[in-house]
Amino acid sequence: MKCSRCKAPAAVALPSHHSGFCEECFQIFFTRQVETAIRRQKMFTRDERILVALSGGKDSLTLMLELHLQGYDVTGLHIDLGIPNSSEKARKKVQDFCDLHGLQLQVLEMEKEGLPIPDVKKYVNRPVCAVCGKIKRHHFNRVAREGGFDALATGHNLDDEVARLFANTLRWDNAYLSDQGPVLPASDGFVRKVKPLYRLSEFETANYAFIKGIEIHSDPCPYSSGASFTSHKEIWGELEHRSPGSKFQFYDGFLKRGKPAFAMMEHENGPELLPCRECGSPTSAEGLCGVCRIRHSVQENKAKAEQQG
Amino acid sequence: MIQVQLEPEGRLVELSGTKTVLGMLNRLSLRPTMAIVVRDGKLLTPDRRLYNGDALLVRKVTSAG
Ligand SMILES: [Zn+2]
Ligand SMILES: [Zn+2]
Repeated sequence: MKCSRCKAPAAVALPSHHSGFCEECFQIFFTRQVETAIRRQKMFTRDERILVALSGGKDSLTLMLELHLQGYDVTGLHIDLGIPNSSEKARKKVQDFCDLHGLQLQVLEMEKEGLPIPDVKKYVNRPVCAVCGKIKRHHFNRVAREGGFDALATGHNLDDEVARLFANTLRWDNAYLSDQGPVLPASDGFVRKVKPLYRLSEFETANYAFIKGIEIHSDPCPYSSGASFTSHKEIWGELEHRSPGSKFQFYDGFLKRGKPAFAMMEHENGPELLPCRECGSPTSAEGLCGVCRIRHSVQENKAKAEQQG
Repeated sequence: MIQVQLEPEGRLVELSGTKTVLGMLNRLSLRPTMAIVVRDGKLLTPDRRLYNGDALLVRKVTSAG
């Protein structure tokens, strides 16, 4: 197979684009997809400051590097969850990566916030993945808001978005279907959220990460089975194989035709949001936001458990 | 004989009688866009020929969670 641009031997075959690229031309293709996403969805401008959520996985590091190379003003934020063995590795990977490329990085330790995830798992009687996700989103938003950032960018790719949309569609979850997308505009106390990799598949980000020498191998979270999303991704992998381009068509069709319909159905009279008494984050609850409540209950249950010895 | 380093499992697999990257992926039950294939630090497309003694890296791209 030859490169569709320069006729050199191809390194990456992309059936969904009816093309193949050599390593050099593939990077140009990748950059253009990100540029198109940012431009068409009006994600941000070069005058704005962007906070990038860095988990340590290939997608978030790829996003950070690509935005930096495109000349955007990016700062990374890594949340150290305080999980023994696992969190140190992820944190070191992010730190080494940012050092290597001269990228700005902030690290927020959940231990210091009174919310190490092992304690959350132990003392909060709810599925740990859901609570952990809530805690991360809360802190990404809080740091972005307090730091005066214009947008919070995450490394979600097309496969992540399709798997999530598919799950929401299987449940016909109106609320999620009305506001899922690559851009969530800022609204009272929430900064704008953007996903500049949404036009690129996991295969494409994996190739880019390999070419750029980004250490791709990342350990899954020891607390997560990741089961349902992974099986949806497998189903979509098979659909995409039989009919290349289906993933993007499904997602793009939803943005153009599905989402507006759900948005119309979902009336905009949600609960009024007020700042949390403790941390200032927007919340519909009286007084304390959900994450501050979790922190209190971790502290109380931990103290009780320690008293009982 | 072809040696395949499978990631993320870190497993080593030996295959014989596979002549192309696509054939090798089929033997591993992987679709071409579910893994990247590397030989001598270079990415390979599914149509590339394989040779006896090749050492390949096959890295699945789906991240868990
Ligand atoms: Zn080329
Ligand atoms: Zn709060």
